[in-house]
Amino acid sequence: MALKKHGAKFDIFTKVAIVAVVAIISLLIVVPVLSILFESTKPTGTNVFKSVFSNPVIRGTIKNTVWLGISVGFFGTLVGFILAYIQVRVEFRGKKILHILALVPLVSPPFAFATAVIVLFGRSGIISHDLLGKTPMLYGYPGLVIVLSASYFPVAYLNLVGMMRSLDPAIDEAASSLGASKFRIFRTVTLPLLIPGITSSFLLLFVEAIADLANPLVIGGDYMVLSSRAYIAINGEYDVSAGAAYSALLLLPALLVFIVQRYWSQKKSVVSVTGKPSGQIAPIKSKVAKAPLLIFGWSVAAFIVMIYLAVILGAFIKILGVNNTFTLDHYRYIFSGIANDALKSTVIMASIATPLAGFMGMVMAWLIIRKLKRGADALDFLGMLGIAVPGTVLGIGYAVTFNEPLKIGGITIIPQLAGGGAILGGAIAIMMVYTIRSSPAGQRSGIAALQQIDPSLDEASASLGASGSRTFRKVSLPLIKGAFLTGLMFAFARSMTTLSPVLFIATPETPILTQKILAESDSGRYGPAFALCTLLIVIVLSVMGIINAAVRGRGSTEFKTTLVAG
Amino acid sequence: MWARVKVVVERFLMKKFLIGAVISALGFSLITIGAAPANAAGSTGRSCAQEGLVRKLSGVTYTCERQNGSLKWGEGRKLSGSLTVVCGATEAWCGAMTSAFEKRTGVKTSFVRLSSGETTARLEAFKSNPEFGVWHGGPVDGFGVARIKGLIDSYASPSRNMIPKNYKDADGYWTGVYVGALGFCSNTEVLKELGVAVPTSWASLLNPKLKGQISTAHPATSGTSFTALWTNVTRMGQTAAMAYHANLHKNVLYYTKSGVGPVAIAGRGEVGVGLVFSHDCVYGAEQGFPLKVSFPSEGTGYEIGGVALIKGAKNPEAAKAYVDFTLSTEAQNLGVGVGAYQILTNPYARKDSRMVKLAKLKIVDYDFDKAATSKTALTAKFDAEIINRSQAKS
Amino acid sequence: MKSGRLELKGLVKEFGKGQEVVRAVDHLDLVIEPGEFVTFLGPSGCGKTTTLRMIAGFETPTSGSILLDGKDVSSLTPDKRPMGMVFQSYALFPHMTVAENISYGLKVQKLSNDEIQKRVTDVLASMSLDNLANRAPNQLSGGQQQRVALARAMVVQPKVLLFDEPLSNLDAKLRGQMRAEIRSIQQRLGITSIFVTHDQDEAMSVSDRIVVMRNAIVQQVGTPTDIYRAPNSVFVADFIGRSNFLKVTDISSSANGSADVTSLGKTFTVPAHVDAKAGNSLLLVRPESITVSRQPIAGKISGEGVVKTVIYYGEHVEYTIDTANGEIVATTSDPSPAEILAVGEKASFSFEANRAWLLPKA
Repeated sequence: MALKKHGAKFDIFTKVAIVAVVAIISLLIVVPVLSILFESTKPTGTNVFKSVFSNPVIRGTIKNTVWLGISVGFFGTLVGFILAYIQVRVEFRGKKILHILALVPLVSPPFAFATAVIVLFGRSGIISHDLLGKTPMLYGYPGLVIVLSASYFPVAYLNLVGMMRSLDPAIDEAASSLGASKFRIFRTVTLPLLIPGITSSFLLLFVEAIADLANPLVIGGDYMVLSSRAYIAINGEYDVSAGAAYSALLLLPALLVFIVQRYWSQKKSVVSVTGKPSGQIAPIKSKVAKAPLLIFGWSVAAFIVMIYLAVILGAFIKILGVNNTFTLDHYRYIFSGIANDALKSTVIMASIATPLAGFMGMVMAWLIIRKLKRGADALDFLGMLGIAVPGTVLGIGYAVTFNEPLKIGGITIIPQLAGGGAILGGAIAIMMVYTIRSSPAGQRSGIAALQQIDPSLDEASASLGASGSRTFRKVSLPLIKGAFLTGLMFAFARSMTTLSPVLFIATPETPILTQKILAESDSGRYGPAFALCTLLIVIVLSVMGIINAAVRGRGSTEFKTTLVAG
Repeated sequence: MWARVKVVVERFLMKKFLIGAVISALGFSLITIGAAPANAAGSTGRSCAQEGLVRKLSGVTYTCERQNGSLKWGEGRKLSGSLTVVCGATEAWCGAMTSAFEKRTGVKTSFVRLSSGETTARLEAFKSNPEFGVWHGGPVDGFGVARIKGLIDSYASPSRNMIPKNYKDADGYWTGVYVGALGFCSNTEVLKELGVAVPTSWASLLNPKLKGQISTAHPATSGTSFTALWTNVTRMGQTAAMAYHANLHKNVLYYTKSGVGPVAIAGRGEVGVGLVFSHDCVYGAEQGFPLKVSFPSEGTGYEIGGVALIKGAKNPEAAKAYVDFTLSTEAQNLGVGVGAYQILTNPYARKDSRMVKLAKLKIVDYDFDKAATSKTALTAKFDAEIINRSQAKS
Repeated sequence: MKSGRLELKGLVKEFGKGQEVVRAVDHLDLVIEPGEFVTFLGPSGCGKTTTLRMIAGFETPTSGSILLDGKDVSSLTPDKRPMGMVFQSYALFPHMTVAENISYGLKVQKLSNDEIQKRVTDVLASMSLDNLANRAPNQLSGGQQQRVALARAMVVQPKVLLFDEPLSNLDAKLRGQMRAEIRSIQQRLGITSIFVTHDQDEAMSVSDRIVVMRNAIVQQVGTPTDIYRAPNSVFVADFIGRSNFLKVTDISSSANGSADVTSLGKTFTVPAHVDAKAGNSLLLVRPESITVSRQPIAGKISGEGVVKTVIYYGEHVEYTIDTANGEIVATTSDPSPAEILAVGEKASFSFEANRAWLLPKA
């Protein structure tokens, strides 16, 4: 990474951009998080902190949270690793299909997994009970681990596939020319080289798992974790300070792990320094090794297919597994008033927030890679806070910060943005959440793209007399457009499917789809919940399709090869 | 020279603006004054067909009242703006009610479905800046708590007259819109597999074979679940009731947030028995779930689902009109169409065979006022002695 | 009046902070005349690229100033400086065609479309790129990309052209061709040019003057002949071309650029650097100035030794000779086979006194 950066004085555009993004991020995430910390120091909040030492219930909740994180981190990474290994190192038919299936859970709405797992594998599940005659107990730890691992393993998978592909095959070849067997190479060369990737995946999944709120609410049973405890404190007991305290407890491990994860993922560059692979890794041919790997891979795929079938079919069937007659009632029901407004407002808000998030992510990436020298790491960290801070914490932070207008000396600086009675029905706060939650995806893909592009392109533009903004518009942005659109795609998917942060600031005037799904599944009306999930999946997939087509349309193949070669 | 001209011109414009403002203000008040008598000249005082009827005529909403024994249209209300209802019944029922009201009056009406405990907590949190105008649905025990906390206002709806005395608060803080009885909601297939008969007594729920096979909501969030708790307190005294629920806890799978939740959980066969209001179970069975309603022989409790005006409601006229509307025959008849089979409080409302017959049940002497005053302390006790103790063990 | 006079005054650039400060450029003073072609030459890390980037505006000097035609441009951002730069990686915009790349800077200047069209056509023709106008950069060869990069920098008619090791990505043959091309274009247009390279051949062949840098400090500034024939230090002598350094036992008198020295047991007069004093000086003799023969050559200064290695290159032979003075390298051009000495043979090495150069050690 021999990237040279400008040591020159910043032009006006750069200065404005730096000030603007720092201000925006401060408003969108730093202030809410600080408000939480402040709010949690109020009496009922400090009670929570005190009872961490005295109250076994709270200690149990913390223990549950951490244990859940570790379990999901372990199982999710394991599944992701095996699938990645199969993808990169094993030759078989249907590779592409397995790849797509492994990524599908990335666009799943909250609850889709939990509810489908209950219908399929619950006590009276179609598969567990009706087919196998078993009555497994899913509510609580086992259900959570299954559902969360299944929902989040694609994160580990993506991470590890990328890393395995970037391993120089020459290293493997060297080991094998020294007489090492395939398994020995795996054990002594491949695995150690992948340890940074494995660790960083584990930590990412840990954070996702402890931050998740939707699943503990539906399938958690009595297994109380910090996020659901904070939810109950806020939405059940309306004790904001206690809720803030629980989320502060949640924030601590999440941020800690995030920082450690950054450290690990930066180590990754040790591996990728070797550059582009010079040859092709010899695929695994031995049937003894192949068979169990493939059986495992296709089982995971089958599981995912079943889940999605349950969701899609469940939306058209009276009561899946109980009364299997075809019906459109669920759709009729959700369109009779449950979903119309929510659908409209969610799509509108996501559509406004998505480009904002994408643009902000790109500006961040550009500043980090091209402009800043000393502050780059700090800015990168600041930008990534949007996903490092658990959604529950963010949502509560917004509720605490924006439910009242911010006044300085009697003058309203920021009007009330969230909660009932807020301007535009609280839509602004929700879009702010969407933006800050999604921009890290844009930032990451922007950084990855910019790192592949020769920094002297920017300098060339500047030396030809182009201003900072012109350089960004005419050179940097077109070059990272592909990444930009991909970032947008994930940003949109993320906005549409996000629940935990918006749950706390959703208002009657601005209903949100995921919140409606929660209401439906909490009341046990899985049919309508499935119908809403299907709707959400269809919307997300079609937008992704449109964006994908746009990427293809713009980036001709020659342009892409330049990117790689450059 | 030019500066002087500018000043003169500015002064002139300023004066003109002020004069304009005064004229338009005068004009506006004249229009409003002129409009008031027009209202009175509308339907007010004319006779009407049925008590509680709501109708809108040239932008003014009237309610049919009983005045000195005869039915007449009451004072008209010119309604506008929007209204948000916090609703404790099912989404479908809340949706039907609010959209019917919107159609009838033109007030843009939305709702948020919240459980009883959540509503009280949320009302309290936004006490200084209420989000909601009306609380509609959910056991009145919760309304009692809200009254104690100063979250709801009394409102003497003219339509209250027709509601039976025992279904409304003497001081006018809440009025009953429906009545439901607590019952057991059993999944016959699951019970058959377990070899357990459909439970017909509170005692039979403690059957060890039903371990993890009972679903109920949490009494702090759900009014339904609190009704069950208070029923047992009434039936056997507080100490014995707590002991009973501690025993029952061993058989409970987990506590849901909303009171209706257990119907679907039992319906899908995740548990054998759900502890719910019987009308929700009837609806579940109608959906195709293998569910059967039964009642405890020792006596069961019941709820009055209420409606109340929120204190400090933003659009009080619309909120009051909504309360009036919920008591009307038209509104109450909406329930059956969306699968809500509660007994209706409006004596003129249509009866349905799927509604429970209270007279045939053994009902405990449920004291709603006492339930309300005890609610906060009792749910805290439930949390401390039953939920937390078991959590600490795990 | 020709413009493009560049003046660097006390230029300092430091990186890092606290105890970690590294000085990349240390008090550089230099005046570059309009139309002059000046090359910064030195090993990697000597500060030459940093200097170039300071001139371009990509780095801000820690102290010192940069004057263009008497105006201080130090505080201007790169886009405000009338300079064009050619990058090591060419930095062609991959999403634009050749013509679009070249017209980029003209569009920035908001020239009329006709003017842009005309200038682009002209420059394409002069660089023989006319038939490539609509190609994408990745469809060009390295040499063509290099030309486009040059055309793009020149077409905006900058006052100064900056070259950051522009030829290092080309193969040897193309490199020679390109540097001739760059030199001829530069001379034709008379644009002040600054070129950075670590390749001495490149520096020698294109420059009016060469600035040799080492460890952030300018070692010597001079014409290629000066630098080669009269280096001011062992470092410069060693870095440019190959050198033999003979010990000097005595310097009896030195004045007017010459000195009487005693070396190899003989006393003779050689051209000398002003700072060359007794006790701190060495005598530089370039390998091509030395003739290796079996017998000493009359009239030349000569010494004795034993042939250690012989490498035959065809047009010349390269000897390494073990002597009392250490190893001496000598090349003999156009040798007849009979004259070539064998390893182990006793040899004489001779040079003319006026081809040697007395320079200070440090």
